[in-house]
Amino acid sequence: MTQQKDRSSQDAVDLPDLLARVDNDHALLCELIEIFKEEFPRAFQSLQQSVVREDIRSVEVTSHALKGMLSGLSVTRAAAIASQLEQMAREGTSSGLTDVLTLFEREVANLLPELDAYATETML
Amino acid sequence: MKILIADDDKLSRRLLQKTLEREGFEVSAVDNGRLALQQLSLPEGPRLALLDWMMPELDGPGVCLEVRKQHDRPYVHIVLLTSRGSKQDVVSGLEAGADDYLTKPWDPAELIARLRVGQRILQLEDRLVEARETMRFKATHDPLTALFNRGVIVDLLDRELSRTRREKGCTVVMLGDLDHFKSVNDQYGHLVGDEVLREISRRLLSSVRSYDFVGRYGGEEFLIVLNNCAAGQAFVRAEEVRNGVANHPVQTMRGPLHITMSLGVLASRDWDTRPVEEMLSEADSALYQAKAEGRNCVRLAEPNTS
Repeated sequence: MTQQKDRSSQDAVDLPDLLARVDNDHALLCELIEIFKEEFPRAFQSLQQSVVREDIRSVEVTSHALKGMLSGLSVTRAAAIASQLEQMAREGTSSGLTDVLTLFEREVANLLPELDAYATETML
Repeated sequence: MKILIADDDKLSRRLLQKTLEREGFEVSAVDNGRLALQQLSLPEGPRLALLDWMMPELDGPGVCLEVRKQHDRPYVHIVLLTSRGSKQDVVSGLEAGADDYLTKPWDPAELIARLRVGQRILQLEDRLVEARETMRFKATHDPLTALFNRGVIVDLLDRELSRTRREKGCTVVMLGDLDHFKSVNDQYGHLVGDEVLREISRRLLSSVRSYDFVGRYGGEEFLIVLNNCAAGQAFVRAEEVRNGVANHPVQTMRGPLHITMSLGVLASRDWDTRPVEEMLSEADSALYQAKAEGRNCVRLAEPNTS
């Protein structure tokens, strides 16, 4: 029980929410995870490069896209940070972008293995 | 019901597609606004659309603006689905022509409920359009024969004559009257008379081209307008119409009846810029002549060249 509590507070994915969104359809969940694994790294890399280049418009567009795909998989905390990046970019704020990006990087560091684990776990 | 999903995020697109398919929607999905507009502009395209706000090529509000310019198409119910949820965004999305607005991440139950609202609105629109079309038909057609009524057929003739003059073409006008129709009513009753009128109307329609006009001009009188018909063909075409009536008896509840029609015909090219009333009067004179000369025949109105 304690283990379950710890896990829900630390995990990047809000699993109950995600399962509700896919209507407990395991095949669909796996399919979405596959799409995410294909799309996310590219968008993530693009965000990192945009922040380095201080390309505000590109940060806005990429963080918006990341926010969409993260919230689609109920990765709520990371989605909120992506939203923060998008908001800063929309307001033209470039200072602080690197710090928020670091937060984002930490949040999604173990995301892909975690999603793989969910795919296996929900199948059982 | 068909629904269009437009979202450049593949994951959202797939999730939406599956959610909506489960609910029985017939889903098509595209990844940019230009393709969305293309789909929504198709004659049998979806009338329910779920559009992402930010999309390549054309954004969601841009699609709304373009769709709302298409006044000749049935109404499309558009729901904007996006993570832009400020009041200002909501207002500008709705002002662009969206009907509803949902923010990401969406709640599946709410999404479906809102789409059902859209469906109900579209069904209501369909019923209103159907009622309007029924009213329009009733206002323009004769209830017994379903041919154009007198006001409409004369109006169509007037317009056709104007067009013909502009294009220096020729319209053929035929005024036909069933012979001894009063005796059909007197001998067999009005129900049989109605049967005859319905069957003759059907035959008149089948004896002309799809773009010609046939109307009920009076009790047993019919006005036929042949568009772009050479003056030299007027008599031949009128004979075809006459034969279409006379060659086979009309089957009625009181048995088969041999019905004939007399016709007065004119070709507009021979009558310069005479008004429609005069043309009809000349056709009527030719019809009178056909009646006087034995009925079941065609007489051409000849312009006085002196």
